[in-house]
Amino acid sequence: MDLVDGYVKAVAKALPEEQREDIIGELSEDLRSEIEDRQKTLGRPLTEEEQENLLRQRGNPWLLAARYRQDQRSVAFGRQIIGPVLYPFYVKVLSFNLGLTFLIVGGIFVALAVSGQRISYNDIASTCLLQFLIQFGVVTLIFSLVDRHLTKHPDRWHIKAKNGKFRLDLQIERDMQVRIGSHPGEVSRFESLSTIVASVVALVWWTAVQSHPFLIFGPAAAFLNLAPVWHQIYFPIVVLTDLEIVRAIINLVRPDWTQFRAIARVILQAGALAVACFAIRAANWVTPGSPVADKAGTYLQVAHIVNLCLLYVFVGAAILSVGTILFRISELIQRRRPRGGAREVAPADKKQN
Amino acid sequence: MTPGTDNHELFENLRLELRRGSLVLAVLAALRKEHYGYTLRKTLADRGMTIDEGTLYPLLRRLESHGLLVSEWREEEKRNKRFYRLSPHGKEMFKQLMTEWQSISTSLNGML
Repeated sequence: MDLVDGYVKAVAKALPEEQREDIIGELSEDLRSEIEDRQKTLGRPLTEEEQENLLRQRGNPWLLAARYRQDQRSVAFGRQIIGPVLYPFYVKVLSFNLGLTFLIVGGIFVALAVSGQRISYNDIASTCLLQFLIQFGVVTLIFSLVDRHLTKHPDRWHIKAKNGKFRLDLQIERDMQVRIGSHPGEVSRFESLSTIVASVVALVWWTAVQSHPFLIFGPAAAFLNLAPVWHQIYFPIVVLTDLEIVRAIINLVRPDWTQFRAIARVILQAGALAVACFAIRAANWVTPGSPVADKAGTYLQVAHIVNLCLLYVFVGAAILSVGTILFRISELIQRRRPRGGAREVAPADKKQN
Repeated sequence: MTPGTDNHELFENLRLELRRGSLVLAVLAALRKEHYGYTLRKTLADRGMTIDEGTLYPLLRRLESHGLLVSEWREEEKRNKRFYRLSPHGKEMFKQLMTEWQSISTSLNGML
């Protein structure tokens, strides 16, 4: 396989199946004719670099494929967030994810029904709706970010050789690295924005869990209840999440306040550790629901297993918190330590608070 | 963005719009004689109508789907190539478009 094949293959992936063979045959022929033509003019074969330049002139394979497609649908909420280039991939991924999720959820409900559990339509509808919203939100967010990358950097791609095969690399990772790495003295706005979105989603979920335990237990909410400790740690967790949102908003406005972020992270992590320790002390996190005479023993057993699993989760979270706090503190100390005598103050450092 | 770059962008957009309308006519004119994609592109470029592949091939498909072109795959120089030419309906349409073009051209020349 050569570079041209790699390019053509990348275009083919984004083409509708019924037209693929035809378009690819023609595109491949056009590329080879142009290469031959240039070789005749130069009187020698084209180097790999020259071939890559020629392909680069043709443009991003996905954008090229989109021009052949008649389906120009897109996703828009006010303004377009997923354009016609990615729309077919978006629909495929979302359909696959939803199909798989509903298959699993369906399987769980069938298993519960077979084992004699009572399942209401309300449980099924709310579980399906929640899964739909999660999948829709996550897949749409990821695709909108890729679409933004494609729109902003249509020329940022190359055909990458790997194990003798060539494949399209959209260099999205490089985009992220460049954004974070090119300004080492700043907090990436992308990171701050992601933190705000993730924290708001977590906050909504955490609040909803208090009154709708199925959001955490799924169908098992029919026979498991949250222990009182969850209500006790509800408010501290809300406060910690709110503070993280405030921290991210401040860093969104002032990305150069890196030291503020470092200190805030240590404080918030310490708060999370305190909450985890409080939760560990409770020892019981779930209780069996309204017992039915013949199932009481089973429910008790399930609650015991869940409590044991949660113990490991909380202990693991506490250990992770301690490790993170130590790491962040060592980062702060290193930041304050002068590096090998007098040095000039870089412009980025000057701006730091 | 400076007024200079704004102006340049506006000019580019208007220029593309102007050319887009005449591309169909240029392609139909060139395909009075049979061509495969690459030679068609070269012929157009040699006559000053440079067109990138990403525009040309989808346009050929569109014209073929409207019945203005016919195409066939044939082997030439040991490679399979798709040859295009005007269909009888395409020839008719080309004549009408030519008349329209000449009328627009005469009107514009009188104004410019």
